[in-house]
Amino acid sequence: MTRLATRGVPLGPIPARAGIGLRSVHHDALLDERPDVAFIEAHTENYFHDGGAAVRALERARANYPLSLHGVGLGLGSADGIDAAHLERVRAAIRRFEPALVSEHACWGHAGGEWFNDLLPLPATEEAARLLAQQVSEAQEFLGVQLLIENVSAYVAFEHATLTEWEFLGEVVARSGCALLLDVNNIYVSSRNLGLDAHACIAGLPTASVREIHLAGHERVGGVLIDSHGSQVCEEVWELYRVAIARFGPLPTLIEWDNDIPSLATLVAESRRAQHILDQRHGLAA
Amino acid sequence: MASLRELQHSFAAALRDPTVACAVSPPANLAIYRNNARAAFVSALELTFPVIRRRVGDDYFRQLATRYREQSPSRSGDLHWAGRDFPAFLDEHLRGGDYAWLADLARIEWSRTECSVAVPLPALSATALARFAAHDFEHLLFGLQPTLKLLSSSYPVFSVWLANQAENAPPVDQSLGPESGMVLSRTDHTEVRHINERMFSFLSALHSGLPLGESMSRAHLEVEALTGALEFVFAEGLVSSLTLNEVPLATK
Repeated sequence: MTRLATRGVPLGPIPARAGIGLRSVHHDALLDERPDVAFIEAHTENYFHDGGAAVRALERARANYPLSLHGVGLGLGSADGIDAAHLERVRAAIRRFEPALVSEHACWGHAGGEWFNDLLPLPATEEAARLLAQQVSEAQEFLGVQLLIENVSAYVAFEHATLTEWEFLGEVVARSGCALLLDVNNIYVSSRNLGLDAHACIAGLPTASVREIHLAGHERVGGVLIDSHGSQVCEEVWELYRVAIARFGPLPTLIEWDNDIPSLATLVAESRRAQHILDQRHGLAA
Repeated sequence: MASLRELQHSFAAALRDPTVACAVSPPANLAIYRNNARAAFVSALELTFPVIRRRVGDDYFRQLATRYREQSPSRSGDLHWAGRDFPAFLDEHLRGGDYAWLADLARIEWSRTECSVAVPLPALSATALARFAAHDFEHLLFGLQPTLKLLSSSYPVFSVWLANQAENAPPVDQSLGPESGMVLSRTDHTEVRHINERMFSFLSALHSGLPLGESMSRAHLEVEALTGALEFVFAEGLVSSLTLNEVPLATK
């Protein structure tokens, strides 16, 4: 019997249904309550260790739910290069937990030997697209998986940008063979902060490349929207999600909630709202 | 036009120093990234050093963490290890003052972080000793659990750590003096506990790879006390391997 067959759930594509981001405060509740969600997504870096309560909890969760591993620390757009030790730990996590999806961000994270542990924005230029695509390719080859690359929220614009965000992401897909994780909240936040057209971005992305969607809450600080993942998804983002689903078809959709984390029941209820929209889209397709 | 690498280095410099310019618009929003980076780092330290935070209060903890970051910025995309040098920073920063003991308290908390993610090995019971002849006992090497850390301090930091598992714990009387202890992760929790000075010396000697006989000498442990000491190390599941020291032929 293979190791895969010992899993409580089969490997394979994550269904086009709603899932939740797994955070440590919900490790026990997830196993106790076994909510009806299609998949869980965990931050890869939280499961880098060989032992400890977190990795044991994810092993148990993985036995009951399909898994997506979502990296927040690799920063594949860093011009100083890929951190080989970090990449090695990502590979170890992939081998250990056998996720159905593996994602990273279209961002950079370190320069001059210092890491900023944030999703720093890349200028939409040919040079940045080439570098990100090159490093995504190297990472995919090393990890042995196709990566989903997520668009990030932006609070600043680069004056010398020559591409739109969708052209930039399309270029990275074309050069590296990666897929995309579309964060609808990030599109909304960036468009509001930088005066861009969120609908044009969704309309411009390569349709077949988008494999997963993220939804999350944001907050307004002064005149700026901050991608804080600390509240419910706002109505404007739900509306944009409907537009995205209409264009890309039903896709695995994740609710992210990382600050002021509510009860598991509240998180699951938020995912049900996404599921309802997906069900409507499935109904149209039937 | 600046290269991508030049742009990222200029962005990074602007994150470190608000007076440095970077070609983004609006430049004021760089403060969001600056705050995010600082908050992520401080938050990681808060998770690792909850008792230090409880003792010094949120504001002073943030000050200490921010100063520490200036000296030891994050060197990884994984913040779990960002606190590695925090005890040494506190040592240097607080040396000679009333709060010098915080450095050793931080060492306990850092040990908890390390032990809690190590993988415990199967523990041997005392019956494993039966595999060896009595005259070889003094040459036995004890492999101790990778989930074990031993610490000693000139201050009563184990008492402080234990007392501060509850909120609003009263200050611990510093005249309690030096203490030794151990941090040990088991399957479902991590223990912090006192051990006496002699047991600390004995375990430290075993941990450093000295054979049993020499470890007893280091700890001034008499033969009569050995049974009790071995009962402790086996009953607590501290021993993961027993091997006979290879004694060079010339000394046999």
